[in-house]
Amino acid sequence: MSRPASGGNPYLNLGVLALVVAALCLLPMMTTPYYIRVATGIALWAGIALSWNVICGYAGYISFGHVAFFGIGAYTTAILMQPNRGWNFWATLPVAAVIAGAVAALVGWPALRLKGAYFAIATWALAEAVREFTTVVDFTGGSGGLKTPIRLDDNFFFYTMLGAAAIAYAMCYLLLERSRFGFQVKAVRDNESAARAQGINTTLVKIEAFVLSAMIPAVLGGINAYWITFINPASVLNTIITDQLVVMVLVGGLGHAWGPALGATAMFLLQEQLRVSYGETTAYIIVVGLLVMAIVLFLPDGLVSLGQRARRMRLVRQLLGRVRDDVAPRRTENQTEEAIQ
Amino acid sequence: MTVLAVDDLHRSFGGIRAVDGVTFGVEQAEIVGIIGPNGSGKSTLFNLLTGALKPDGGSISLFGQNVTRLAPYKIARTGLSRTFQIPALFVNMTVRENLWTAAVQFDWDNARANADAVLERLELTHVADDLASTLSGGQQRLLEMGRVLMQKPKVALLDEVAAGVHPRLRQIMLDAIRTLRDAGTTFLIIEHDMELAQDICDRIIVMDAGKIVAQGSFEEISHDPHVMEAYLGVSADE
Repeated sequence: MSRPASGGNPYLNLGVLALVVAALCLLPMMTTPYYIRVATGIALWAGIALSWNVICGYAGYISFGHVAFFGIGAYTTAILMQPNRGWNFWATLPVAAVIAGAVAALVGWPALRLKGAYFAIATWALAEAVREFTTVVDFTGGSGGLKTPIRLDDNFFFYTMLGAAAIAYAMCYLLLERSRFGFQVKAVRDNESAARAQGINTTLVKIEAFVLSAMIPAVLGGINAYWITFINPASVLNTIITDQLVVMVLVGGLGHAWGPALGATAMFLLQEQLRVSYGETTAYIIVVGLLVMAIVLFLPDGLVSLGQRARRMRLVRQLLGRVRDDVAPRRTENQTEEAIQ
Repeated sequence: MTVLAVDDLHRSFGGIRAVDGVTFGVEQAEIVGIIGPNGSGKSTLFNLLTGALKPDGGSISLFGQNVTRLAPYKIARTGLSRTFQIPALFVNMTVRENLWTAAVQFDWDNARANADAVLERLELTHVADDLASTLSGGQQRLLEMGRVLMQKPKVALLDEVAAGVHPRLRQIMLDAIRTLRDAGTTFLIIEHDMELAQDICDRIIVMDAGKIVAQGSFEEISHDPHVMEAYLGVSADE
């Protein structure tokens, strides 16, 4: 019988966490700039994968448009740091988060009334709309993109990215695993009708979860824009980003607190290794395809479920089933009659 | 004191009149059974009372407040709790977490202690940390009843809550209903088990084809010719 994680020995958990944090903080003193950049990339992907896990793994809504929020954050920072505006980098990050959160609330209000495949299509349309918008307007630099001030300091970006990702994880852990809000979100995911019957305002809870999941990639997108010094629609609003983070969450463990971090680390290192070994990423795409099939079939709770105490939720199959139900033919009158008995 | 008043309620699905001019009232601390053949509109009536469906016509009043078009969560917050015909559990949460979740809008501060007490009362302590999806059918019904107990509602709507539950556990469930009733909770219970309805209900409402065809004590309705024809499928002359 499936049993959830009990959390084990809290002192042991804290000790392990302290060791990991200490090792990460000391990393720049122990390794080369190349590995610092790899670690920065892992922190970036772990953070945005977490954001997708919030809306899909916890709230049960498949978003194919999360790259929009990453792009909004990147463009907000880049636009505000242009020489004619001259904003301080740190000041741009909360602005990016607020704008992404506002867009999520605005879009989420109608879109979160949709279910399954329909919500996924709506969010995909949002990402396309944001990409088209940044391509045609002047203040984003159009398809030519924008440059950000150059800062040649790998350690700064490593610590900034790591800090942002760590804050995001701590915030999500407290909000989704240890608070009343987390139970509300998970109730909506598991059974929305039953959640309403418990007095939960499901519309509001879904919007709050969507806003939270939008603010995280916006902040990371802003840091990324400063780090890579040049952004355009093809680099920060590319749908491949959403595809990547979906795969990372599935590989790590959908709906599990630490699944995205595990998946992002595994997939980023795999991609990097294939790039270094073979000099191209075609092999990576093939590996990703095979991995997704294997995960759905044999390890629906991802790498996290390799642990003996991990909770076996099988959300992947549940969500896929829900999508199939949503596009199924309407019931006949006879079936409706049976349903109301 | 009338806590629930339903007046001329209508709801159709296409050409089917699922609820057709239903009118009744329920007094505080009363246990009212709703019986009727399949398709008589009992569960639709529950969905209308809880706001899950909007009526085509008529009105629903709860504690004197018109709740006819109120959102389901707002109706729940007035103190109305329900179970579902097919248990609607939070399947990726544990049994204990299901109970905690029932308290998120109510007595959250005491949720842990209350959940432990409910688990013990319903003899679910040994599966408290199992996922709800792994429970047997009878245990799922008990857990739904547990969620109702967590909310200490003013009105509870139970939809075939004892179906498939072991006789001993069913007795525990009935005791829990009586305890809540003694504390002032009003119950509406959809039930096919006549023995149970006779055992626990103060009054029975009989529905057929979306209408109320009879109501009264169990003795009264069991001799009603409409009931014999509609529910038992035999005419009074046979």
